Amino acid sequence: MSGNDINRRDFLKFMGLGGVGAATLTGCDMPTTVTLEEGKEKVVSYLAPEEYVIPGIGVWYASTCQQCPSGCSIHGRVREGRVLKVEGNPESSMNGTGLCQMAHAGLQGHYNPDRLSKPLVRKGDKLTEASWEEAWALVEEKLGARTAWLTGTISGHQAVLLDDLKKTLGSNKSYAYEAINNGVGEALNKAVLGEATPRYRFDKAQSVLSFGADFLGTWVSPVHFTKEYAQKFRTGERGVLMVVEPKMTMTGANADFWVPARPGTEGALALGIANVLLHKHQVDGRVLPKAALDVIAKYSLAKTTDVTGVRSEAIVKMANYLRNNSPSIILSGPSAHEHANGSQNAAAAMLLNILLGNVGKTIESSGEMPVKDIAARPASSKAIVDFVADVGRGDIDAVVITGTNPVFTAPKALGVEDKLSQVPFKVALSMFIDETSALADVVLPLASSYEDWGTSVAAYQPHDKVIGVQQPLMQPLYKETKGLGDVLLSLLKSKGVDGYAGFDDYYAYLRKAFSDMPASVKQGKSDKAFWSAALQSGLINVGAASGSIKAKAPKVQAVGYEANSDYPFHLVPSARQGLWDGRHANIPWMQEAPDQVSKVFWDSWAEIHPKTANALGVKEGDFIRIESDQGVIETQVYIFKGVHPDVVAVPMGQGHENYGRYATGVGVNPLKILSPTTDESTGELANHATRVRVAKTGAKAPFPRLGGSEQQAGRLLVGTVTADVFRKTEGGDHVA
Amino acid sequence: MSLKNLLNDWSHYRKGIEDGGFYEYEHMWGMVVDLNKCTGCNACSVSCYSENNLAVVGKDRMMKGQGLHWLRLERYWDEPDMGGDDKEFQERGGSFLPMMCQQCNAATCEVVCPVAATYHTPDGLNAQIYNRCIGSRYCSNNCPYRLRYFNFYSYYEESWPEPLNQQLNPDLSVRDKGVMEKCTFCIQRIRTGKDKAAREGREVRDGDVVTACAQSCPTQAITFGDLLDKDAQVTKLWKSHQVELGKTKQNKSDEDLRGYRVLEGLNTDPCVMYLDRVREV
Amino acid sequence: MQTKDINENIAWAKINADVLRSMENPRKGYWIAVGACLLMIACAVMAEIYQYQVGMGPSNLNWPHMWDLYIATFVFWIGMSHSGTLLSAILHIIGADWRKPIYRFAEAMTTFSLLTAGLFPIIHLGRVWNMYWVLPYVSDRGIWPNFRSPLVWDAFAITTYLTSSALFLFIGMIPDLAICRDNARGWRQKLYTVLSLGWQGDDRQWRHFRKIYMLMACFLIPLAVSVHSIVSADFAMSIMPGWHVTTFPPYFVAGALYSGCAAIITLFILLRYFFRFDEYMTIPILEKTCKLTFAIAMVWTYLNLIEFASTWYSHDPVAKELLWAKFTGPYAPFFWMMLFCGSVVPFALAFEKMRRHLPTMFVVSLLLNLGMWLERWMIVTPTLSLSHSPFAWDVMWPSMVQWAIVFGSFGWFGLLFLIFVKVFPSVSMYEVKEMVFHRRRHAPSEETAQKLHRRADDPKPGAQPSTEGA
Repeated sequence: MSGNDINRRDFLKFMGLGGVGAATLTGCDMPTTVTLEEGKEKVVSYLAPEEYVIPGIGVWYASTCQQCPSGCSIHGRVREGRVLKVEGNPESSMNGTGLCQMAHAGLQGHYNPDRLSKPLVRKGDKLTEASWEEAWALVEEKLGARTAWLTGTISGHQAVLLDDLKKTLGSNKSYAYEAINNGVGEALNKAVLGEATPRYRFDKAQSVLSFGADFLGTWVSPVHFTKEYAQKFRTGERGVLMVVEPKMTMTGANADFWVPARPGTEGALALGIANVLLHKHQVDGRVLPKAALDVIAKYSLAKTTDVTGVRSEAIVKMANYLRNNSPSIILSGPSAHEHANGSQNAAAAMLLNILLGNVGKTIESSGEMPVKDIAARPASSKAIVDFVADVGRGDIDAVVITGTNPVFTAPKALGVEDKLSQVPFKVALSMFIDETSALADVVLPLASSYEDWGTSVAAYQPHDKVIGVQQPLMQPLYKETKGLGDVLLSLLKSKGVDGYAGFDDYYAYLRKAFSDMPASVKQGKSDKAFWSAALQSGLINVGAASGSIKAKAPKVQAVGYEANSDYPFHLVPSARQGLWDGRHANIPWMQEAPDQVSKVFWDSWAEIHPKTANALGVKEGDFIRIESDQGVIETQVYIFKGVHPDVVAVPMGQGHENYGRYATGVGVNPLKILSPTTDESTGELANHATRVRVAKTGAKAPFPRLGGSEQQAGRLLVGTVTADVFRKTEGGDHVA
Repeated sequence: MSLKNLLNDWSHYRKGIEDGGFYEYEHMWGMVVDLNKCTGCNACSVSCYSENNLAVVGKDRMMKGQGLHWLRLERYWDEPDMGGDDKEFQERGGSFLPMMCQQCNAATCEVVCPVAATYHTPDGLNAQIYNRCIGSRYCSNNCPYRLRYFNFYSYYEESWPEPLNQQLNPDLSVRDKGVMEKCTFCIQRIRTGKDKAAREGREVRDGDVVTACAQSCPTQAITFGDLLDKDAQVTKLWKSHQVELGKTKQNKSDEDLRGYRVLEGLNTDPCVMYLDRVREV
Repeated sequence: MQTKDINENIAWAKINADVLRSMENPRKGYWIAVGACLLMIACAVMAEIYQYQVGMGPSNLNWPHMWDLYIATFVFWIGMSHSGTLLSAILHIIGADWRKPIYRFAEAMTTFSLLTAGLFPIIHLGRVWNMYWVLPYVSDRGIWPNFRSPLVWDAFAITTYLTSSALFLFIGMIPDLAICRDNARGWRQKLYTVLSLGWQGDDRQWRHFRKIYMLMACFLIPLAVSVHSIVSADFAMSIMPGWHVTTFPPYFVAGALYSGCAAIITLFILLRYFFRFDEYMTIPILEKTCKLTFAIAMVWTYLNLIEFASTWYSHDPVAKELLWAKFTGPYAPFFWMMLFCGSVVPFALAFEKMRRHLPTMFVVSLLLNLGMWLERWMIVTPTLSLSHSPFAWDVMWPSMVQWAIVFGSFGWFGLLFLIFVKVFPSVSMYEVKEMVFHRRRHAPSEETAQKLHRRADDPKPGAQPSTEGA
């Protein structure tokens, strides 16, 4: 080097340029437009790193996934102060090492370029950036006794703080709204079994019959069920999976026997199957009350076929499977529940469980959460109906919205947008501007779940109850963001509530809360050891107060079917694992990842049966017009045999009007044209009850579907063997 | 470069040709994908995007077929082994097939690359050297599985707007335009696993290396490991399903065993074994 | 009706004058043609700059269509380059005299179409700037190209062929360059002085010249055959159905000769028209070229049928599927158009009336070339659109970027050719004189022959002619 007259400054400049190349080509997070000297405060010094930073080595920290309410436990890989990858936590009995795609995509929510970095305050018509103090002053001033809390699923210590806050403010109004929920099922379970979320033993079951419960995709705790399904249900003696649903979901695509019934008649089908079981298979009907047997007796094969549109052989086949592969689990989910007679459908499915003696065998008590105050608060779609009603009565002066986007996810006919505008003061706590937070008067930017402390308790827990511990995986990307816990704590402190003044932040509160956990939970550990252990494993196993359940047969009523000649089709706004209720539509990975069944990406589509397509005269990619009494959407069709001929299925999650660069303007929102029907007995929204008419628009466009042929064209790509062969070669004790 | 090297390399190469292959493998990374377990949930694919810095190309380019899905989940509606699909409904669901680079031992892509940017490593991997690639795209044309993807654009600005780029995995590069890329069996994880084993002064054990897809699969349908390691789970599975490398047709004592390799009749000798999907009749 | 190839009574001086005239005074039409070519090139250059900056994306290339028009057009131009070799080398060896007035421009075509073809493998690279990596240059890291790859063979074959054919063109031109030198002034004289390598036309020079010309001709023939066989190996060595075909080498060579001949007819008519070469590029010569083209067209058609048939009896379902898709799939209109242009249109060449009608022949030759271009496209693209992996099936249409570059390549070829005709004699003067001379050998009377020789020491019939003083 002696011959070269490069001085130190030039050298650093070169290094800076090198940094540009390195940053763009290797993805290093070096600043891309500054030299090292200018950007030195952002550069991790390799000479004197923090004690836990090992340059070049990724370290895994445990936390809890917040991408959906299932509460999977995760490990986040942190390198040089950035979280890079999430994986399942092997210690978790919920999800094990596995995760769903949404969990991985949390990273892109966290690093999303559309994230809010500063509080916004409405000035005139526009939300403008403001300092945290300014926004906070408004919030402190306006929140009072008539404050409503509109949230998504909320659990853990945040729920405790929220409860305290409500108590302090004297407000009892809180609405936990989830568009994808199991509200009807939970209500029925509670009534019949005494427990809203019993434990389903896929490991014990020999057959599963699901009426629209997409348990591999979006129902209750999909990753856990997927794990149980594949590792316990489908191995060894391999159970039989039957799925009845109007549109093929991921669960349907994995079924041994997939049957589409007329939407809303799932209950009738269940009763028809019960009828076959009672009469053909001589199952002992004495477990059921007389009233139920009377209703079942009405559903002869012919009648059932007449009502449900399902071939009688199919009904008998399902009954045979259930009889020959015992014990079984009968599940029911949204496409059966979300009708005016949804609870009836759920009850009929449960009746089958009782008839087949599944309760206690494959449907067990999940026990009770020993630490009651942090248990999951049930979320439902009834909440939004109640909210709208309460605003209509003028009961609400201020609303705090977090974790939910009802303007997008609730049927437009409910008028959430109008009703919100009637509320004088609206605060949104959100990571993003979405359709709902855009209406708020103050938007406080939330920290992402990778930047924040927290605890969460999943509603569905397989056996031992677990508190999921959420710890920051990295420094906040933006200084002016706060976690929900911190916001609630600040509010409590500003209201001068006893006992909170001492906490600097939510972290301090959590430390205290952990110290205060019952001794049974701490298992004799010191506070510090308990805390460390919790952080290390990412979950606290609190055990479960064992319980047992006994079924009390539900009342069932006859289910009929009425055709509607004005609106002959049913609109099925199916849930799509990936976009969930639309909250992940702003994540590029989730847009680019094709839908599991249709393989469509970056768009909406309408699924129709080839018969329907013929009748309409449309081909794949043609636009159709779907019209309900509430409005019209137009989208391209995907034609396959996995949908009922009377059904047009448009998955929800797309059609955002204001949700960042990746989601806005992509696809259409089927929720916009839903009729605001509710389930008669629970009041849950009946999102599957909308009737529509469908017409060809004449417009065509290339169809955004991945893959050329959907047929294997005679090659051996996916081989299939029969279950009998499988049982012969790998069944029973055979160890592969 | 010396003449000696050249001659050595040549005789090494000749030997490989005469012996019908190169046998001095240190590892032979292989995989098993159990289609009985796979639910087609796509988690593996997104995990791959996250691990391997795969660019999001956007709707238009995806529609053009310029996407970069190293691990793609193919979905078929027909079942060639179970008769026609003339029924009214898709009664037995769909057939899902996760396709990642099959790491063929007789890889058709390797021979045709004019600059030897893709070659076989002593690990049994079909490696792609991005720096060497000139983008003739012949390899992708010659891959019967169509598992090689080309960077038709530079994506690092469009695909990772600040601060999305902070998520990029520093263990491997972001590929620039004009370069072919494909599944590497998470070669950076293999590297890490080998380094760890070396630091601890031992051989690489089964479980030291897990690819992102195998790791994230909620059903554990994907098993990854070293086929030269007799105790590895993956080797046991290959044995128990009587599938062997180096054959275009397997001799099985029991025809009902589920293992097969996709298009193995083409003599590509892939290192990924699939296990048949299972359905009640 | 003229039946003889060439009028034997043309004076040598007239030959010189006619050819030299064609090299002078470019007129308006010439400049318009040059301008048009430059415009076409500008289109291509802009497209290429765009593609260079952005990546291969705008070309619409995709997964699985990694190759498309670039490679098809590359094969087309390589095929075109076989014309010159056929006319000058093969016909030279077999002693077909009628080739003499037309082989020069055919050879020029060979060189220029190779110069055009050579651009395409470079244009189609994702990282153009590293193209030299396919060559086995000495690298201190001991990195070599992959000698197993047909693309490397291509690089060797094309560069060898280009060098040889350019050399062949140049060597064959030396006596004519000497004539030019003796008739030119200014920069031209300097140029020709250098290029004619001191040609004086003495006996020793002629002897060497004949020897080396024959040697080059013999060398070039296997080279030409191998070049297109190697280009066909780009496809045939792959395992893709529709490409993995053993008949590809002869099929490609036949196609190459075919398109070369067709292009000769086109240029023949153009040169004859614009340069008033009616006396050299005569109808009988055109007829002979047409007959040759027709024969090759039938060979090509036969090889096409062979390909269908061998696919049919191969029992390879995937290949059959592909064949069927070619017949009926989305690319079928182009496939049928190719068969029409390549196998039906040439029957026009079978009729004397049509052969002698220049406008008809012009249109026919263009159609034949279109057919041959389509053939290459139909080889490259449908195979990629259907493959072993049904999930990757796709139909792709090339974008404007690809079209612009393909279009521009014709401009590039045209420009080179236009420059050639004004700088170099596009008709071989000394060989036309040979024709006239040889005819005279068979002339009825010695006396007439004697009279026609202007100088007493001119070579006698049967001896070598001299250009000296011509």
